[in-house]
Amino acid sequence: MTANTAVRTTLWMLGAVLLSGCGARDKPAPESANNEVVVYTSVDDVFARPIAENFEKDTGIRVRLVPDTEETKSTGLLNRLIAEKERPQCDVFWSGDPIRAAILKAKGISTPYQSPEAAELPKLYSDPDGHWTGFSCRARVIIYNRDLVPRGQEPKSVLDLLDPRFKGKACLANPLFGTTSMHAAALFVKLGGDKATEFFDGFAANGGKILSSNGEVRRRVAAGEFAVGLTDTDDYNVAQLEGKPVGVVYPDADGMGTVVVPNCAVLIANGPNSDNGKRFIDYLLTPAVEEALAASEAAQMPVRKGVAVPPHVVALDQLKPMQVDYSALGGRLDELTKGFLKEWVDRNSR
Amino acid sequence: MAAGLILGLVTVPAWPLVWRAIVPGEATPLAGSFAIALRNSLEIAAFVGVIAFVIGRPAGVALALYKFPGRSLAFAIVMLPLLVPTFLWAIGWSALAAQAGPAATAWITGRTGCVLVFLGSAIPLVVLVSYAATLALSGTQIEAARLAGGERAVVYYACRYGATAACFAAALAGLLTLSDPGPGQIFGRRTAASDVLTSFSSQYDFGLAGRQCALLALAVLLLAIPLVLLAATRLSSQILVRQVRSIVRISPGPMAIGISLTFAALILVTMAVPLAGLLLPLQNGLDMTRAWREVARTGVNTLVYAIGAGFVSTGLSLLTAISVGHSDRLRTAVLGSCLALFALPPSMTALGMVYAATSGPSWLDWLTRSRAVVCLGLGLHYFPLATVIALRSWGTLPATWTHAAAIHGVPFSKYFFKVVVPHLLPAMGVTLLLVGLLATADVGTVLLLHPPGRTSLPLAIFTVMANAPESLVASLCVSYLLLALGLLVVLWSLAGRHTT
Repeated sequence: MTANTAVRTTLWMLGAVLLSGCGARDKPAPESANNEVVVYTSVDDVFARPIAENFEKDTGIRVRLVPDTEETKSTGLLNRLIAEKERPQCDVFWSGDPIRAAILKAKGISTPYQSPEAAELPKLYSDPDGHWTGFSCRARVIIYNRDLVPRGQEPKSVLDLLDPRFKGKACLANPLFGTTSMHAAALFVKLGGDKATEFFDGFAANGGKILSSNGEVRRRVAAGEFAVGLTDTDDYNVAQLEGKPVGVVYPDADGMGTVVVPNCAVLIANGPNSDNGKRFIDYLLTPAVEEALAASEAAQMPVRKGVAVPPHVVALDQLKPMQVDYSALGGRLDELTKGFLKEWVDRNSR
Repeated sequence: MAAGLILGLVTVPAWPLVWRAIVPGEATPLAGSFAIALRNSLEIAAFVGVIAFVIGRPAGVALALYKFPGRSLAFAIVMLPLLVPTFLWAIGWSALAAQAGPAATAWITGRTGCVLVFLGSAIPLVVLVSYAATLALSGTQIEAARLAGGERAVVYYACRYGATAACFAAALAGLLTLSDPGPGQIFGRRTAASDVLTSFSSQYDFGLAGRQCALLALAVLLLAIPLVLLAATRLSSQILVRQVRSIVRISPGPMAIGISLTFAALILVTMAVPLAGLLLPLQNGLDMTRAWREVARTGVNTLVYAIGAGFVSTGLSLLTAISVGHSDRLRTAVLGSCLALFALPPSMTALGMVYAATSGPSWLDWLTRSRAVVCLGLGLHYFPLATVIALRSWGTLPATWTHAAAIHGVPFSKYFFKVVVPHLLPAMGVTLLLVGLLATADVGTVLLLHPPGRTSLPLAIFTVMANAPESLVASLCVSYLLLALGLLVVLWSLAGRHTT
């Protein structure tokens, strides 16, 4: 084969790949054209995909999963949902926290759905109007490096991060994004504006650092660059499974309580496969899914009573969850991201 | 007129957000502090552009002129960072610095880290353009320079020749940094792109994001106009040169080892160091089964998006070059517009396309909600880069050929397909390859536009990396890099056989 022929053959092959793939949408589902459900999720792909695959096996309905991440390096899926509002592609948004679910409700993108499976779930973690239903939870925790924080010296409260012994040794993820933003909003609601502002300013004055994500907090505390950091239970669990020298504190057990972050199932208004979307939500809310999420690397806490809790997961009734109105947090966060938190992050970025 | 029309069409997807930005009352007013973010961004872009030029220009010349040990491999590896999303390099640097201790982290935090990461993709871009520009010299010119002043004169002459094209590549590489929020977020440097991201993804204020983007583009345009005006004449004179005899590469004697070592150092800094940070978790074991499952699930999509983007960019840029013709004024205007377009965050275009698909009829979904739309989004983002190459290539087509064809009554279609296309084919191939490589690494556009279930490999890595075990993320990175390197080597050997 001459060089010219080789180049030409390669170009033809590449062109053929392009033509065969470009315009084509996914293969039709085995039973009918609508035998599918489109799920956008902000839950990490590694945790969401096995659940979706189990649903496919159980029901024969094909799940087209579009995962996002809380990492703050891209304009994410919620924007896509907002832009698609008039003619959505998505049927269900499986949110990793109630804040995004509340935003969808506020923007008129979600529609109420009372799943029969939700009857046994605590109402505390769901929208009173039925726009989102909360299930398995993570918690906002303090992760610490065991080599740097002696036994008995662990922080007990998020406010302890202002302690001089953690000067320059504490970190948190950017509070404009992800579960850290929800944590910030919860602190403002619980502590009040003045005290919460004092906390954030004190954190910066104590040399606390803003990192890009909870995953980064986990990595850098585990590496010993920071002694303590605020992150989620799933991050802590992954670090522990990897054998990193980390410990965890569920903060404020004696005070305002630990922030608990439920997953939320949201039905999108006018989704193309609404019925399948409802079936997927019903499935998400079953005890089996709570059990699977608890047993996974996500180590999520079931909110339903009677679901088996593996030894590496702390049961919700062993915690003192912070009592906040989840449906009100979205509005508070909206003010904060356009006000104090944005200014605070700007002030403390180099 | 036609060129303006194409440039206008390229920006159409961004119009919905621009509209929101300019309609009074639609958006939150632009905060004065955005100027700080803008300044930081321009500062990073300037550093990246200048350093990439200083390093990339001689490297490209050396690759074009000399044989040295490991040349082909070095060329392929130097290009590798183009295929990798910047946030991965940033995480690699950050992880390595965390291992090295607080002093290393303090050093890398902020501007230094951002510049280091962006240089990873900026240098290859300049190297590639420099290489191509040097190859436009004739063998006779090089031999004449060698006879007149030895290798020193050859290097000096070759570095001067095509410096404008390399300068443009460096400027484009600098501009690419303006729309990428990843490294700024990871290294704690406030940039315009991270402010735009905050407006999009934290405040959900598309109007504010639109205004910030418009201001960014305006700033770039103001800075680009003098550059374009100064460079246009030189660029025109360079591109009129016609190659008559190819350069014969020689071994520069003892200097060959020096060149090899310099390339090794370049690869070490731009790639090996951050890669070491990314692969540190491999000491806990590999998870190749899961990694290859992801590769199998996403490989074809990744390829389709890359090739599709290449075709879109190449086609549009060719049309633009034809419309511009040999007019210096038009070329200057188009180059200036391209620089400004390059600074726009791709999310503006992508979200505009989502709006368009949503407002359009459902019977068009096969197009507007398919993989083709991802190719279009990526192709439009890299259109400015393709246009610069196309303009240069079109400029090498002597006007006398057109006149001769006209005088002898050769039909336009025959002239176009028998003369013009073969002449432009090498440049089109380079454009296709370059845009394809850059598009492969894209995450933002693919995330917003891909049809459900049709994800790409970099996007898959992006979505698992937050909480997946580090060994899986590292295994995915290894798989991705191996595939990318394999692809580069195959393409390179094909291109090498084609040119020799």
